[in-house]
Amino acid sequence: METFIQQFINGLSLGSVYALIAVGYSLVYSVLLFSNFAHGGFLVIGGYICYFALRSGGMNIWVASFAALVGAGLSAIIVERLAYRPIRERTPVTLYMLIASMGMSIVIENLFVVTIGGRFRALPPVIPTNPVNFFGIATTSAFDILSLVTAVIFLVGLQLFLVKTKWGLAIRAASYNLKTAGLMGVNVNRLIAIVFFTAGLLAGVGGIFLSVRYTLYPQLGAITTKAFVAAVIGGLGSLPGAVIGSLILGLAEMMTAGFISSQFRDLVVFGILIITLIVRPTGLFGKSVGEKV
Amino acid sequence: MMEEKKPILSVKDLVVNYGAIQALKGVSLDVYPGEIVAVIGANGAGKSTMMNAIMGAVPRASGEILLDSKPLPSKSFQVVKEGISLSPEGRKVFAPLTVLENLDMGAFPISDRSAIEKQKEDVFELFPRLLERKDQYAGTLSGGEQQMLAIGRALMAKPRVLLLDEPSLGLAPIIINEIFKKLTEVNCQLGMTILIVEQNAKKALQLSHRAYVIQTGSILMEGRSADLLHDPEIEKAYLGGKK
Repeated sequence: METFIQQFINGLSLGSVYALIAVGYSLVYSVLLFSNFAHGGFLVIGGYICYFALRSGGMNIWVASFAALVGAGLSAIIVERLAYRPIRERTPVTLYMLIASMGMSIVIENLFVVTIGGRFRALPPVIPTNPVNFFGIATTSAFDILSLVTAVIFLVGLQLFLVKTKWGLAIRAASYNLKTAGLMGVNVNRLIAIVFFTAGLLAGVGGIFLSVRYTLYPQLGAITTKAFVAAVIGGLGSLPGAVIGSLILGLAEMMTAGFISSQFRDLVVFGILIITLIVRPTGLFGKSVGEKV
Repeated sequence: MMEEKKPILSVKDLVVNYGAIQALKGVSLDVYPGEIVAVIGANGAGKSTMMNAIMGAVPRASGEILLDSKPLPSKSFQVVKEGISLSPEGRKVFAPLTVLENLDMGAFPISDRSAIEKQKEDVFELFPRLLERKDQYAGTLSGGEQQMLAIGRALMAKPRVLLLDEPSLGLAPIIINEIFKKLTEVNCQLGMTILIVEQNAKKALQLSHRAYVIQTGSILMEGRSADLLHDPEIEKAYLGGKK
């Protein structure tokens, strides 16, 4: 029972970090209708900014994290401006953006390999990882609780932004129909920049926590595959779906690691993906209803 | 009487290409302040293309669009800011947003909260049905209600010229009558200038003061709507007249 509770908390913690990544992924998908495979790059950029701000800049964790989030957000805007905007201004076919995103993913990864090398780096121990007794029923680490709480704060923040603000409303409208949102007087390019900044920023948060969990290296962005799987399970383009899918995945991984074997984690993850695609191809919360004519 | 004033909206030799196909082959028309102008024509004549070109939603190959004798910007969001709003073909309401949120979207360029609330009251006065359904998702409204919402949403930006693309599309005759009566109200009471494109030529001619007939991307004929309504050629081609 103690293992169960412990793995449950760890699962939620891992799942919530996936959720930060999956939500950004889904947000971009919902507006531009393509899977942005360069999303993992934003996460790595955030991680490295945090690393160097702490190591070489000697900044405290708050300043370093802030720099990492803003940096990851800006890098997302730059990627969109360089690689996607020229395509979407020429053609409505989103497949080209998907291909461009694969290219950008390789570019970002290799920029790091070429400039600072491919070795694994550990973030200075500024984020507490000591074990914590959880109300006397289980032992977990401070890091897991911290990442869970942080993820929840950012997800709630995102929800408030989408529901309470004018641009949030415009993003929700654009995720239903981007062109019509443009006809309402929304500057579509600015809206897309805001969407990418938000997605990049959330990926940056995930990047910092993943760097602590797994150490930092240029291919860390490949973890986005998990977030992508989570987004597909939840239903691509649906934000609640992305969160639920991520939690399911995080729990499944940790339960497998706790009760079966750590080596089966990925097997279970992709097993769940395959079952979802067979049983419910649109995902748990996927859009399947067309508009009423 | 209208002709003495300067046009508020003026389209000159507008050409739009879709790849190798010329959708508009030099269309010109004028809309004067306070009038309702209809553009009628068959499916595929280029009516919606013209509306989208005015809105900056499709690029124009050549030609000019003037608002108050000044060239209209080419990006949609700038066009809306200049004072032109469109109720698009097929309504295009934001189905997963509520009626209120749809109206808020229509008011996107306006930053003054109290002006938005005032504008909402005006829209609800015009379409009381929308007030009853204000918290409902737009996707759950009937076709007629969605059309009302699309028109109300376009009015939210306080446009100087209201563009309507096929407001009768897919609606029952009784609902069409109701909506067209409201459009007359919008024109008379709010003094709104309206440019409407319609396949339902009879309704459009009854509503409007002047009209243009468009065929395969060119203006074929123009005149006072009352005259066109009784023109034998129009009757035969567009009003389902027998003979």
